[in-house]
Amino acid sequence: MTIEAERYGSRADTLVFLGCLALSVTAMSVPDSWRRPFSQALRQTVLAPLLTLQEETQTLKSSKAHVEAVTAQRDSAMLAATFLPELRSENARLRGLLGLGTRLETGYVPAEVLHESVPTDPLTFLVSAGRRDGVKVLDAVVSPEGLVGVVSAVDEKTSVVATWAHPEFRAAAMAVDGSVYGIVAPHGAEGPGIWLLELQGVPYRSVVPESTLIVSSGLGGVIPRGIPLGTVMGQGVDNEHWERTYLIRPAVHPASVTHVMIITGATAGRGNLRDLFQAEAKSP
Amino acid sequence: MRRTDKYRFWFVLAGLVLLHFSVRTKLGDERIAPDFLLLAVLMYTIRAAPGPSSAAGFLVGIIRDAMSPASFGANALAHTLVGYLSSWAKAVFFAENLFVNGCIFFGGTWIRNLIVALASGELKGAPLAWQLLGWSTLQSVLTALAGVLVLLVLGRWLSVRFTDA
Repeated sequence: MTIEAERYGSRADTLVFLGCLALSVTAMSVPDSWRRPFSQALRQTVLAPLLTLQEETQTLKSSKAHVEAVTAQRDSAMLAATFLPELRSENARLRGLLGLGTRLETGYVPAEVLHESVPTDPLTFLVSAGRRDGVKVLDAVVSPEGLVGVVSAVDEKTSVVATWAHPEFRAAAMAVDGSVYGIVAPHGAEGPGIWLLELQGVPYRSVVPESTLIVSSGLGGVIPRGIPLGTVMGQGVDNEHWERTYLIRPAVHPASVTHVMIITGATAGRGNLRDLFQAEAKSP
Repeated sequence: MRRTDKYRFWFVLAGLVLLHFSVRTKLGDERIAPDFLLLAVLMYTIRAAPGPSSAAGFLVGIIRDAMSPASFGANALAHTLVGYLSSWAKAVFFAENLFVNGCIFFGGTWIRNLIVALASGELKGAPLAWQLLGWSTLQSVLTALAGVLVLLVLGRWLSVRFTDA
């Protein structure tokens, strides 16, 4: 071949063209038994490096897709693992509620805590049971660990619960052995102390040891007798006159509950509920 | 014309062959991805005489047939015809024009697909029409665009003409 020639379509070109055409038609008409060995020979010689290149490219492409899939699966697993402790905790709490429900038998209404997704009053929360379910104002709200609060307002399908941290919360209380009586109220109106309770009105001559379980006494008929409120942490600093005040570590933190039981009047009439919470309550 | 220009020309053709077996699988649907192997054949045939063009087309076609034994010979026939026709067309128009080259790339791809479809006999009726009017047209357009891009970028390396005269 030379460069820069201008003549096209010579007789030789036509002969070559016709020859190639004839070979092509022949290739189309040969039997399969001839095609296969010929194709195989081409694939194993001329095409081998190119097919290897194509295979490598495909492998690279599928490997990339595989890595992306594995990465996505790992991310999903990590996300699921993040929620695992919370799910376990909720599972344990639900099992506890089931146990409490079995022991209560009747006279309670189970409800889900409707936590707000926006900042709101942390001292009250909404539950998914209302007047339609038999809930009334001042019904006690409990979890397997103890008292969460009391119902402060009732709608048709929902209720507002004032937790024990609410400034207006008061409960007649006593030591679990009945040796000491007093009134349990929130420790403070602001700051970290808001999440503690205090047992007020204990006679000066009565000493309550640390870790003593404090339960509701049922005085006044609002909160049934025997519901755990917390355990004694120590004596308060602001003792006045002839009475003592004790700091109480609450039995349950309102932020940790996802499901509660609202005790209606029917159960309240049963008397002492202390045994129902015995398994979950801390011993002194 | 320097002697090294001819090597550059073959270098570009080899590059197109490598692209066909490496990058093409990543360019989306197999039916519409640019056919770099045919582009290499057309790059050669529009610069060569019809005889060598037919032979080149036949060789590339028979190699492609080895990869699709079910329609053995169809690619050889199609590439032979396209090689000869493109070389002849370039002789008739005889213009080193980007648009003309683009049209040859488009027409070459489409005619190749038409001949392969008819000769292999695998498609008939509506599927054949859809293949030719839809997928084949899209592939021809993309192949032509790829060819024009190669000419724009490496046109100087490809400005050689091979004949047997």
